[in-house]
Amino acid sequence: MNAAHRQPTETKFEPLLQFEMEMGTFLSDWHHCDQLSTYMARMISHNRTDPLRHSNFFSSALNELLEVSFRGGSPEGRIGCAVYRQGPKERVKLSFPCPPGQRQFFREAVARTNGNDAYARYLDALSTDLAPSREVVLLDLAINFDAEIRLEEQDPPSITIVVDLPLEGIVS
Amino acid sequence: MSTAMLAAPFQAEFDANSQEFSFAGVVRPRSVDEIAQSISMFRNAIEEARGVLYINVKRLAQMNNTAFHAFSRVVLDACRTRSDIRFVVVTSSVVGWTERMFRHLGKIEPQISVEVYDSKFYPGQAFVEDTSFIPILRTQTKMTWRHERKILPRHGMRPGITMADICCGIGDFAVLVRKEFQPARIVALDHSKASLAYARDVASNFGISDIEYSYGDASEMLLEDNQFDLVTCRHSLQIFNQPDLLLKELYRICKPGGRVYITNEKNSHCLGEPRAQSIQWTYNEVAKLFAHFEMDVELGPKSRRYLADAGFDDILVESFMVTNQDGDPQDFADIITAWENVYAGEMAVKRGDPPEFIERFRQGFRDHIFAALHPKGYAGWPIWAASGRKPL
Repeated sequence: MNAAHRQPTETKFEPLLQFEMEMGTFLSDWHHCDQLSTYMARMISHNRTDPLRHSNFFSSALNELLEVSFRGGSPEGRIGCAVYRQGPKERVKLSFPCPPGQRQFFREAVARTNGNDAYARYLDALSTDLAPSREVVLLDLAINFDAEIRLEEQDPPSITIVVDLPLEGIVS
Repeated sequence: MSTAMLAAPFQAEFDANSQEFSFAGVVRPRSVDEIAQSISMFRNAIEEARGVLYINVKRLAQMNNTAFHAFSRVVLDACRTRSDIRFVVVTSSVVGWTERMFRHLGKIEPQISVEVYDSKFYPGQAFVEDTSFIPILRTQTKMTWRHERKILPRHGMRPGITMADICCGIGDFAVLVRKEFQPARIVALDHSKASLAYARDVASNFGISDIEYSYGDASEMLLEDNQFDLVTCRHSLQIFNQPDLLLKELYRICKPGGRVYITNEKNSHCLGEPRAQSIQWTYNEVAKLFAHFEMDVELGPKSRRYLADAGFDDILVESFMVTNQDGDPQDFADIITAWENVYAGEMAVKRGDPPEFIERFRQGFRDHIFAALHPKGYAGWPIWAASGRKPL
């Protein structure tokens, strides 16, 4: 489904929480990924059916996204992360400055999460790769968290990864 | 915000006796180098193992893809070089992402299988988690609450505290506590999805939205260390086959200086007049029956020892007797009827008891009901309430 088709539902997502920080500050400590994902997960999960388990699930997914931006972002500019909710879904919009050389990589990696061979690629990577690539991390979100992932590029040099996570249905 | 505040430390352990390698806590390394020691330990465990190696991830709260990939790599490589070994990954139904992530390994290598650990692993748990038991649980709480509301302040209950009710069942205790004592935060955890569904439904009907009901295994909780001023766990150590393990978890989540409050029974001390002898015989048999299913319904007076062994100080133990004079005697009789149905109708049958034993067994419950409803009768159900403080 492309972004244009999704436009009408966009308004139904209610904002819950967002943060912004200098990319340089974010990149100064790897533990920021863990700390931010844990904190945000707790905040947005408090009124879910099972706050504890929802928070655990959401933190897993958000941490992976933040790690992607940590490994693939450039130090100039700002990182922004906003979480929205629509019924049983949370939407994460993660924006970060991305070097031009990596934009195509992200386009392809996101496109592959929607491909028919997504699961085969994921298993193949698990089976043979020495370490997980950022593509595998996105496949992990699609396969293990039932995430729908797309990319927005309206604000170069930043890119925005948009991830819809239907965790309430999985957790409860 | 320090990392230590948020992340539980990561632990990797190998138990050579049971050939079980356990991962616990939070592991989110930037590179494999950060977990090289654990990886090496894991490799050595695999080299040492024969037959089946269990990989226990029940208490693995978080693992990023870097770590997952590294540990998976070790297992998958071992499958390719060791046709003589099998791996069983034991995940938890509570930590849902582990089940989803680890299951893929079995798709890659048939030597790897994934088992989901949940309440069915507890002997006898099914008897007390049957949904037909729900109405009686409500009646039980109604009758014990008359006593507990008076004694709870002695055990650390006060307005504004953060508390957790572990093994909360149908959540009625949490609702009563919220109304009576107004704690600032209540987390209520249980591993019966049916009970939790009922609890959420009741809370919703009463417009209560601030009790955090959570599905969880009391012996492997996702809750972090040192969180709660008061941790309550009622009538549960006695139906758990490893009460010391459960108590260790209650201790862990309690704040230093906070208290853990437990209630348990000594079923053989249930009593009644008239027909005392028949009643006494049946309840002695109840204790034996539960012991057969690895549950100790005689635990009440042992609370002091359990709390001391778990490391608590300032231990306070008291007992109260729920009787047919607490409100409507029919309530008491209804509880006994439910006990008869489960203990004689299900548990004794499952143990393979002969019909003549079951008949005599049932008679004691009926005599207890007779005593409860008799205009001059007396029927009692004793409960031990105890709490200990986690040292500062």
